[in-house]
Amino acid sequence: MREEEGPMFETSHVLGGLLVSTPILPCAWKQCMLANSTNTAFFVQQVDDVVYVGFSAVQAMSSVAGVPDGRFFSTMPVGHGLFSPLVREEDDGEPLLFHASSLHLFMALCNSPQFQMLANEVQNKAVIFTGHSVGGSLASLAALYFLCLASYSNSLAPASLLCVTFGSPLLGNEALALAILRERWGDKFCHLVAQHDIMPRLLFCPPNSIDPQLVAHMLQSWQLAMRYPHLVKNTIMQFSDEEKEGLFQFVAMHVDKAATETHGSLYKPFGSYVMCSKEGAVYVDNSDVVLRLLYLTFAAGCGNHSVEDEHLFYGDLLLTITQQLLVKKQFFIQEEAPKSYYSAGVQQALGALGIGFQDMEAVEAQECLRISKRMWQNPNLKCANLAIKLAKVTPCRAQIEWYKASCDDDMGYYDTYKQRKASKREFKVNINRIKLAQFWNEVINMLQDNLLPSDFDKKGKWVNASQFYMLLVEPLDIAEYYKTGMHKRKGHYISHGRERRYQVFDKWWKTRNKYTVDTKRSKYAGLTQDSCFWAKVEEAREWVEEVKRGRDATGLTDLCQKLISFEFYAKELISRKEVSIDVLAPRSSYTLWNAEWNSLKAELGFKSNLDIGFL
Amino acid sequence: MMPISASAAAASMDKVLLHHCVSLSMKAHHSSTSPFLLHSLSAPSPCSIFAFAGSWSADDWIDGDHAPFGASDIDSLLFPSLKNLVSDVPAAVNMPFLRSFQLILEASRLQAEVSKAVAEKKQIVFTGHSSGGAISVLAAIWLLEKHLKTDNGNHNVPFCITFGSPLIGDNLFCQALQREDWSSCFLHFVMTMDIVPRIPLAPLASLKEELQSILQFICPKSSCLSSNSFEISQLLSRFYFTVLRNALTISNHQSCLSMGCATSLLGNLSGFIKFSPYKPFGTYVFCCNNGRLVSVKNSDAILQMLFYCLREEKADDPYRSFKEHLQYESKLKSYLEVQNVVHGDYLQANELFSSEMNPDEMPLVETFLNDLDMGKDAWLHLHAAAEWEMQKFRNQKRIDANYSKIQEALNALDNYRAMCELRGLCYYDAFKLQRDTEDFNANVKRLELAGLWDEIIEMLSRFELPDRFEGRNDWVKLGTRYCLLVEPLDIANYYRHSKNEDTGPYMVKGRPRRYKFTQRWGEHAQRMPKGSSLESCFWAMVEEISADMNNKKPFVEVKERVLELEKNVSAWLDSGKLGSDVLLGGSTFVKWWMALPKQHKLSSCIARIMSRVEKSG
Repeated sequence: MREEEGPMFETSHVLGGLLVSTPILPCAWKQCMLANSTNTAFFVQQVDDVVYVGFSAVQAMSSVAGVPDGRFFSTMPVGHGLFSPLVREEDDGEPLLFHASSLHLFMALCNSPQFQMLANEVQNKAVIFTGHSVGGSLASLAALYFLCLASYSNSLAPASLLCVTFGSPLLGNEALALAILRERWGDKFCHLVAQHDIMPRLLFCPPNSIDPQLVAHMLQSWQLAMRYPHLVKNTIMQFSDEEKEGLFQFVAMHVDKAATETHGSLYKPFGSYVMCSKEGAVYVDNSDVVLRLLYLTFAAGCGNHSVEDEHLFYGDLLLTITQQLLVKKQFFIQEEAPKSYYSAGVQQALGALGIGFQDMEAVEAQECLRISKRMWQNPNLKCANLAIKLAKVTPCRAQIEWYKASCDDDMGYYDTYKQRKASKREFKVNINRIKLAQFWNEVINMLQDNLLPSDFDKKGKWVNASQFYMLLVEPLDIAEYYKTGMHKRKGHYISHGRERRYQVFDKWWKTRNKYTVDTKRSKYAGLTQDSCFWAKVEEAREWVEEVKRGRDATGLTDLCQKLISFEFYAKELISRKEVSIDVLAPRSSYTLWNAEWNSLKAELGFKSNLDIGFL
Repeated sequence: MMPISASAAAASMDKVLLHHCVSLSMKAHHSSTSPFLLHSLSAPSPCSIFAFAGSWSADDWIDGDHAPFGASDIDSLLFPSLKNLVSDVPAAVNMPFLRSFQLILEASRLQAEVSKAVAEKKQIVFTGHSSGGAISVLAAIWLLEKHLKTDNGNHNVPFCITFGSPLIGDNLFCQALQREDWSSCFLHFVMTMDIVPRIPLAPLASLKEELQSILQFICPKSSCLSSNSFEISQLLSRFYFTVLRNALTISNHQSCLSMGCATSLLGNLSGFIKFSPYKPFGTYVFCCNNGRLVSVKNSDAILQMLFYCLREEKADDPYRSFKEHLQYESKLKSYLEVQNVVHGDYLQANELFSSEMNPDEMPLVETFLNDLDMGKDAWLHLHAAAEWEMQKFRNQKRIDANYSKIQEALNALDNYRAMCELRGLCYYDAFKLQRDTEDFNANVKRLELAGLWDEIIEMLSRFELPDRFEGRNDWVKLGTRYCLLVEPLDIANYYRHSKNEDTGPYMVKGRPRRYKFTQRWGEHAQRMPKGSSLESCFWAMVEEISADMNNKKPFVEVKERVLELEKNVSAWLDSGKLGSDVLLGGSTFVKWWMALPKQHKLSSCIARIMSRVEKSG
């Protein structure tokens, strides 16, 4: 276990190098080229055990490149439907927006018979969606579509999924980036971006800020070059040096703005990026860092770059990088010897980004890498440390258990605690209760901040520990709530006082891998299996009081119905022995309620529960 | 007898022995009658060298059935120790190499000759060049396993010296050798640029044809090496880059792990590509072009060096990395003329390097990189490997600091047990009742211990402790004691809360990993099969049978389990693994016995013991 003393090694360029050295990227690029050469929207091919789905940039481009009216820059909201798992009710932030042209294309594609067939072909397979340029946007949307599908039904979805795009334009706004983060899908998207490619940065410019004619011209000539890859390239695109220089500077300015100003741009990168230069590749998965690096790499070494080459020749770029990595280097990139492993690694990463150590951008790029690294602290490590902490708080739990056992036979655990006077014993229990709550709140917060492994809530250890904690301690929380009269101020516990952690634990418990037992309990459970049982008792007691006080006929029926259904529920729980023995203690709230309710029933004059109907 | 470590032999540079080994290894290729050559030496000490011939047919290097890297589970009858102790997953090994060795074992005089040499108390050395080296590795492990079985501890530990041997086993293979403390028996000589050791890093199943041409080309029996045709140089160049690119993938992948990079991308990628499973083990001695020999033991660092040494500034001579495969005899002999001592173990886990760089070490790094001619971007990766190894030792140190804490807690529970016995109760039952403060205190001790052990288990399952850890006698003993003493308390707690009724039987659903691990350590140290010492789970078996009988299951349905348990109980009581306190009046076990049908009890194998209990009760 590494000590958490700050990052020791920089790994972004190692990951980048790893990706580039695998056959995945060249193979994906080959599929993109194949798709471009066909007349269909996408092209499916199986290579070894992996299904590649390449989306044609030529086809996609032909529908967006036509009109010189700035439409290419616009966004549109995505409603419920295809991508609904990305839209959450509790999100009160921005609505989810997509690049309009890409979304239109995808919606049309989605309804086509070929796409329906694709769904069959990728089922339960390892699938890579890929595309160059605008084709990449379609690949991303298709990948998102199947990821969303998988969250409804695993059987229809691919077994594993990866999306690789080459020089694709931006696809969505910050809400998309956040949703991807929340669903932990970031590592399923690898966006390759060449250092001076305009396309992945173009949408940072506000609509109509660039001459629409120029954009249309650029898109058209890219499309032409993709359709006829063998044409001599100089005959395709005719930019004057001035036009080019102006375009680069303009884009650079807006990328800078998008990164530095809070509302600098509608668009935001999502997923992870592989920033490629001729020197190497760097893998970054933090959207803010990506955004900043999109600017810094673009601005660094900004000399005379070809608008078309940078966007078109990703295949050659991959080859160059691989060759670069396979050649022995006899010098440090930086002149002086580095101070630490980390700073030496950062030097190498800067080199791979294509930023020289003397470039103006170097200092800020270093800072970016540092931020990105900090975000990367090992979730498994965190989880292991948490396990050690859990072991340390477990004795607190044992003390409460011990307390519970000592008061089960008279008033019962719940009522003893609720009616406690200032005593040392209960004081200690209370301290333990608070300590445990702090620990579990920390767990929940870490999970929410994506600091723990993605399968954390599926791990038996944690599901069981949290459930045991909840069954043991929540009754004390309820007792505390009603003892201090919170229900009078805020309303009843279940709907107004329940801590979020318990709701989360409930969810974990319900979705766990269940072991089905058909045996009946032979004795009362150690802990009441419904942790809110006492809160329900408290509500039922209030209903009894109301019945006694009120007696107006309309409300009465309603109250009696509620009381009967609670009675039924409680009796059922007891007969299945799913309550702890303290529920049945002679002076427990439940026993008292039961007596009151029985005499009330007699008073109201109905013998069986069926009588309620005649009231 | 103290094991003679191979690296010690190398350090003292038993030149005579090495000379013989390398010559014999090359000579073995030409032997047409036997798959190995045997040569005996009388000085400096009596010693038998077995040298295995390599194969130059691609079928003996890769088979299509175990694509893409040709690795599959090792034969666990021949190699019972090469596995993960707890999961029982066997190590993976290159299948064709294993097959060749099995064939030699069945069809040649190897067994007979080895037995003879062992009987004569000779030092046995296995050696081989190229794939012959891989065979010699398996032969050495086979003999080590055999020695374990005969178990009189009176053997010369064999050792194994290979020259340009391809990688052969996976991570588990490497870990098991460490755990058994066998790694020091293996010494691998590798020319810095020799391509053959790296070949298994490439997916050979898809390169079989190329491999066949390459093997023909480098076969020492043919003289192709001098033929300089354009096609051949194209083929060599392509093959070199394929291997190099795959080595880069493995190097970067390994670095990500040792650099502690946490992204889930790595896991995600493995859904789409297979990484070569092979890992180096033992000591590697790199034969540098400047005539120096550099020895390294750190497996991850060796893997890095296999990539970084293979790179060239300009790949202008495609022949070089293939020619080097055949230069061991000539080069090594000339090196040994001048070479006195091998480089120190520079990348081992010692406290030489702190996490911040020490300026004093730079000259050392310089010479090291210069000797290996590696390029300066390599050092970060090597240091990451060294750091990772060091971190494991730091972790171990921290865990070792808990040893006495665990001991104290166990002593306290021993006292608890004795006190319960004085009160006429079995500690299992006392704990299950949880009536007194002592019971509560015991529970707190149990929880503390669980925390301490869970930390160890967590680290082990993430490979964050040295591989040797699971073979360490002190911890194995402590673990066994822990398991025997404390698991009954966990079981008591489980059934006290009737967790079996909502979660399932303890043995199936409730048994914590800390007991599974410690039980396995103990079993393995005694060379007992997995699951053969379940005495710490005694109470769970009693409880489960009771639960079934309480649920009115007919006796015939549980009878088999009852008989099994009774048989075990009588053995465990005899051996003292089960304390006599289980027989104290009113214990769960005695109650269990009482509830059994009379008819059955009369003929039970523990009837005599139990009737005594019944009488006294």
